[in-house]
Amino acid sequence: MYIKNKIINSLSTKIVISIGVVSLLITLIIFSVSRKITKEAFYNVELEKADLIVRTIEPLIALNIYLDMPDNIAQLSQQLMENPYILSVKVLDENNKTINNTKSKEYQKGIEESFVVEKIVNQPNSTKKIGTLVLVYSNKGYIELVSKYINLTFLLLFALVVLFILFGLYVKKLLSPLVKIAKSLKYYSPEKEMDIPFLSQNNEIGLISNALNGMQQKISEYSKKQKNINNYLEEKVNEKTLELREQLYIDTLTGLPNRYSMFNDILETSDGALLIINIDDFKEINDFFGHIAGDSILKKFSNRLKNMFKENQYIRLKRLSGDEFALLFVQKPSLEGFIKIAEKLINDIEKMIFLYKKNEISIRVTIGGAYQIDRALEKADIALKSAKRERKSFLLYDEKLNIEEQYKDNMEWVKKLKKAIEQDMIVPYFQPVFDNKSDKIASYECLIRLVESDGNVVSPYLFLTIAKKSRLYSELTKIMIEKSCQHFEHIDYDFSVNLSVEDMLNKDMVEHIKQKIKEHNVANKIIFEILESEGIENYEEVSLFISEMKKLGCRIAIDDFGSGYSNFEHLLKLDIDYIKIDGTLIKNLDKDANAQVVVETIVDFAQRLNILTVAEFVHNEAVFMKVKELNVSRSQGFFLGMPEENTEK
Amino acid sequence: MKKTILFFLIFANFAYGYSYDDLLLKAQASIFPKILLLDKKIGDKLIEGRVIYTIVYEKNDYNTALEINKFIDANYNGHFNGYAYKINLVEFSNLSSSTQASVIYALNSDKDMKKVADFAREKGIIAFSYDVKNLKTGLLFSLVLEKSTVLYMNKENLYIQKINFVDSLLQMVKFIDKDNS
Repeated sequence: MYIKNKIINSLSTKIVISIGVVSLLITLIIFSVSRKITKEAFYNVELEKADLIVRTIEPLIALNIYLDMPDNIAQLSQQLMENPYILSVKVLDENNKTINNTKSKEYQKGIEESFVVEKIVNQPNSTKKIGTLVLVYSNKGYIELVSKYINLTFLLLFALVVLFILFGLYVKKLLSPLVKIAKSLKYYSPEKEMDIPFLSQNNEIGLISNALNGMQQKISEYSKKQKNINNYLEEKVNEKTLELREQLYIDTLTGLPNRYSMFNDILETSDGALLIINIDDFKEINDFFGHIAGDSILKKFSNRLKNMFKENQYIRLKRLSGDEFALLFVQKPSLEGFIKIAEKLINDIEKMIFLYKKNEISIRVTIGGAYQIDRALEKADIALKSAKRERKSFLLYDEKLNIEEQYKDNMEWVKKLKKAIEQDMIVPYFQPVFDNKSDKIASYECLIRLVESDGNVVSPYLFLTIAKKSRLYSELTKIMIEKSCQHFEHIDYDFSVNLSVEDMLNKDMVEHIKQKIKEHNVANKIIFEILESEGIENYEEVSLFISEMKKLGCRIAIDDFGSGYSNFEHLLKLDIDYIKIDGTLIKNLDKDANAQVVVETIVDFAQRLNILTVAEFVHNEAVFMKVKELNVSRSQGFFLGMPEENTEK
Repeated sequence: MKKTILFFLIFANFAYGYSYDDLLLKAQASIFPKILLLDKKIGDKLIEGRVIYTIVYEKNDYNTALEINKFIDANYNGHFNGYAYKINLVEFSNLSSSTQASVIYALNSDKDMKKVADFAREKGIIAFSYDVKNLKTGLLFSLVLEKSTVLYMNKENLYIQKINFVDSLLQMVKFIDKDNS
């Protein structure tokens, strides 16, 4: 199959076949045309012959008819019959009456394709018709001529075929050097110089060979240059690779192995332990002394750590991030020893003093430890965060803390919240706030709820903290603002919505609030509840928000008042309308004398400022009665009304 | 019946003149007028628009000449293929240059045949002879009945400029000259 294809693909074969086919077609066309023309010519020649005979004998026949000599006509006819091609001669008089009719033997066999020439016989020296001469001439001569012509043509075709075969062989021979050149080029390699054949030939083959030879030399030169460049590049790449590898695993500032290096080491360690050391409040050092000072301290700190553990081959010091270092124990120490090392480290670091431009800087660290190599980094990190949260210097990861489960639970809640927002499962529930004088509903507090697909209502205590951490909180606030405003657009009650300081600082949120208030025309109905503790911490920003909202006609309430360190001075400046007394003061108000004193003071203070007070967590009648007794303006709680999906119209 | 009587009369005349073959006479009487029309220059030989067919005879052959005259008239009825003709019977002794003739037909004569030949040559006209032998004397045409009808022609007189026969005639005639018969 390969050989067959090769033969067909051969250029010489293609040339010869092409020329052969074209020539054959031309020959066939010429043959067909010339055959037709020649046959016609032969036919005409034979017909001409017959006609010539007729024209030759016609005067004699005419004369004999004219002179009334039928014998002579018969004699003439007999003479004509000596011509083997003449099959019959028939002479008719002017009345078409036969004078003579002579036929040959061949005539009897048939005259289908013979030539019949009929001529009017005129009187000699006149145009008067005196008879008709009919001559039947055999086509034998014509057939013989055509046959000869065909034989000659076939001979010519045969000669042509032979010529083309010879021509094909000749072309193949002419082009055979190309095949030889191609074969020699097949194994060409720039490294090895090749002998290209036919260089001395003074023809196109020679030109090709010389051109290839020139090309070979240029490629060889280029290849050598390229090889040198490649070697140079290879060296450079190797250098760079080493450099990058070092950069990948080595921290450039301290020269310590970095986080990636630690990952590799953990993988190679079968049983070990890990300590993560975090410099407390390192940001403050950077902010106060500048980054150069921070970097300098980090370098010095790392050097001291190196010195501390340089003799212990089983402890590897790593730098994880800016202010975070790690000690990887590639061989597990005893638990006691491990804890001791950590505690000693904390003490030693506390004693360290770093000098920068005559400043003495000391640092503290928090350490998280993992006594297992499996997921050591995660565990040590969790321990570190727990230690930070609990304000401890060192904490060892404890499986019993179930911290991992909490993390998982939080992540599940984030997913659930996202789904709830997407599927519109966040809804406001409305808890009535009663006026203590009239015992009528004065307003409603809009409280967030997550209603699951099965109708289960989820309390906000389960998800609000997580929402704050995952930054979904602002989304929830927007939904609450939108739905609450929409709900109270056509209801003649005031309503309050909780806002975090984060919401008030968010320009996008403030714009959203303004837009929804205007859209539903609820500016004079809405009350924003702000947590006392948050409000005090961000006084300036909150003040700005409040004045903006007040201009629109909205009202402001301070929520959970009395839970923190209440700053009456700030409250005076904030121009608030309501104080919601913290539930912890209210829930035992009927029994707790201290709480009664605090509430009384708050109410007194509020009344002086013309601010209304609201008591939350009114969960029984005794508390309610006490609230009234203490002159709290309004009450809210399960005793008076549960949060409901709907409000009174 | 008429023909039988005519033949009888002709045969009766033989007793007083030359002996003539009646069949030959008739053949000649019917063919010679046709041959004279094969002359392409016949138009030049018309006298007063007519072909003058002159028959010369010895005094004793008058009846033969007359019979020929009648035979021709009977066959051609005044016209040789469109040409009006007149038969002029002239004795050999009366033949002169003033004799009108478009063509001349000579019956037998022992002494005046040369005169006829000269007359014809002088006038440039065709001279037919009853007897083929007279062609040697200088006459142009004769006819003999052999197995078939044979026309004889005197080759020497062929090129008389005033006579131009159709070519085919020359193909079918037999030529004679002074040296052979």
